Amino acid sequence: MFLALKELKHNKKRFLMIAIIFVLISWLVFILSGLGNGLSTLAASAFKNMKADYVVFEQGSKASMSKSLLSNELTQQLTEMQGVTAVSPMGTIMASAIKGNSLKSEDKLDIAIIGIEPGSFLEPSVIEGSGLTPDNLNQVIVNKTMKDEGYKLGDTFQLDGSMESLTIAGFVEDQTYNHVAAVFTPIAEWRKLAFAAPGSDKGVIEPVNAIMLQGHNIDSGAINEKLAGTDTVTRAEAVQGMPGYKEENGTILMMLAFLLVISAFVLGVFFYVFTMQKTSQFGIMKAIGARNGFLGKAVVSQVFVLSLSSIIVGIILTYGTAAIMPKGMPFMLDTKLVITYSIVLLVISLLSSLVSVRTISKIDPLKALGRVE
Amino acid sequence: MSKGLQITGASKYYNEGSNRVSALDKVSITVEPGEFIAVVGPSGSGKSTFLSIAGALLQASEGEVKLNGQDISKLSGNQLSNIRLHEIGFIMQASNLVPYLNVLDQLLIVKRMSGKVSTADKSFAVKLLEELGLGTKLKNYPEELSGGEKQRTAIARALINDPNVILADEPTASLDTKRAHEVVSLIAHEVRTRHKAAIMVTHDERLLAYCDKVYRMEDGKLSLAKVESIH
Repeated sequence: MFLALKELKHNKKRFLMIAIIFVLISWLVFILSGLGNGLSTLAASAFKNMKADYVVFEQGSKASMSKSLLSNELTQQLTEMQGVTAVSPMGTIMASAIKGNSLKSEDKLDIAIIGIEPGSFLEPSVIEGSGLTPDNLNQVIVNKTMKDEGYKLGDTFQLDGSMESLTIAGFVEDQTYNHVAAVFTPIAEWRKLAFAAPGSDKGVIEPVNAIMLQGHNIDSGAINEKLAGTDTVTRAEAVQGMPGYKEENGTILMMLAFLLVISAFVLGVFFYVFTMQKTSQFGIMKAIGARNGFLGKAVVSQVFVLSLSSIIVGIILTYGTAAIMPKGMPFMLDTKLVITYSIVLLVISLLSSLVSVRTISKIDPLKALGRVE
Repeated sequence: MSKGLQITGASKYYNEGSNRVSALDKVSITVEPGEFIAVVGPSGSGKSTFLSIAGALLQASEGEVKLNGQDISKLSGNQLSNIRLHEIGFIMQASNLVPYLNVLDQLLIVKRMSGKVSTADKSFAVKLLEELGLGTKLKNYPEELSGGEKQRTAIARALINDPNVILADEPTASLDTKRAHEVVSLIAHEVRTRHKAAIMVTHDERLLAYCDKVYRMEDGKLSLAKVESIH
């Protein structure tokens, strides 16, 4: 550590260069991870925050709400399945909310309508106002981001392409679906909206998109067997089945993976060149009695100090960036994720320095004498 | 046990294609503590190979090298590192200092190689440097030192671990006559007062007067040479 710090202090400029590169890399890694996290939250937070463990879809629907249509009559049979403790149906459609009778485009807002049984385990708890009631079908609870668009408690809004209007009874938080605010309605209201055109329910009695299950160790295979035409998956699989979700996350993950691989090579090459330049120095120290371990430790601890401080600066810059980002940006920093990527970056830089350590162990102290016969 | 350095019948061969080239041919030499020996000879005569073998940097193909009574010809790499650290003080050609360490740290890094640095180590290092006339340069970096000062730092570095053997490889290669005499007389002085066995490899015939014995190396063979002494 002594040798490492002395050299860092003496060659500030050269180490500053590599620190700047590392800071930029870590900054970009954290911003991408925040963006990925923000996007996946926006895409599926309503789904992810549901207290459901399994989801029953129609067979052949690829675990996607929009491709699935089931009858609510199945709920009765599902409650009798082994391991199932609670059952509740759900339906979703995309819609647009219009403030009053306005024709201005800024007064239209994309929303996702999620139909649930009032009072069921699927209903999120409100942070303001009151929950859903089975008696008043037009009372809805909405995500609090609609407040930013100027909606208040008790406001009534029209739905585009429909005669129906809904009234905000309460606000919930962290409920977005398909990148837009979620609006929870009683399932009966959802049916009115989703199957407004006659025949669009394909004749299914009490149609729903999917049935959510609560319970542990549910045997999805047994359910598929007993109930013909159904497909039971875990909630995590259902999230993956959302349109575009996998693709979106895959893109971000691919960028992150490339970034990490690139950073491993950039850092590795940098440290290697540094080490090569110091070959004769290491040779001298070996000649006067330094062991490989002593010199290796010096290099690794130097890389450690450099990486750790660069990562910390990167984290500070990331949180700084997050603070000045516009509110609507799908950017969400997760402390756990930041810590994970910090550790990954640190491990990558330490691994890349091992190449240099190997080089050092091969340096011949004889070269320090300045001439080899 | 006998102190100092004893080399008996040491040879070193290199394979060059199908030929076997001997860089060192049955070299024997004994250096007692307090003795300052010079080895001269044309380049390519095997002086460096000889010094490398004496300095535990290279192992002899044949023969025995005894340092302080211990045979070092069969030791492992790490054991050799240890021998170099504790038993041998190297003075190399000019400017072989670590560029980012100040004069005092040049000495203390050697102490760090074997563990912690104690206050006693530090005061010994300061005393040593003062003795060598570097008392005012403790915090200077190598780039701020003159050639003579660099070499004096190297002498201090060679002495910091109180080794039994001092090996100097062309210590005056980049110095003018005045500085060269200064440096070699300093080495001779330290060798005698501290009772070290010392070998200096050099081209510079002017400096042989400081040495007790002069050996000549030719084609890998070492022989005693006659030189008038100035003592």
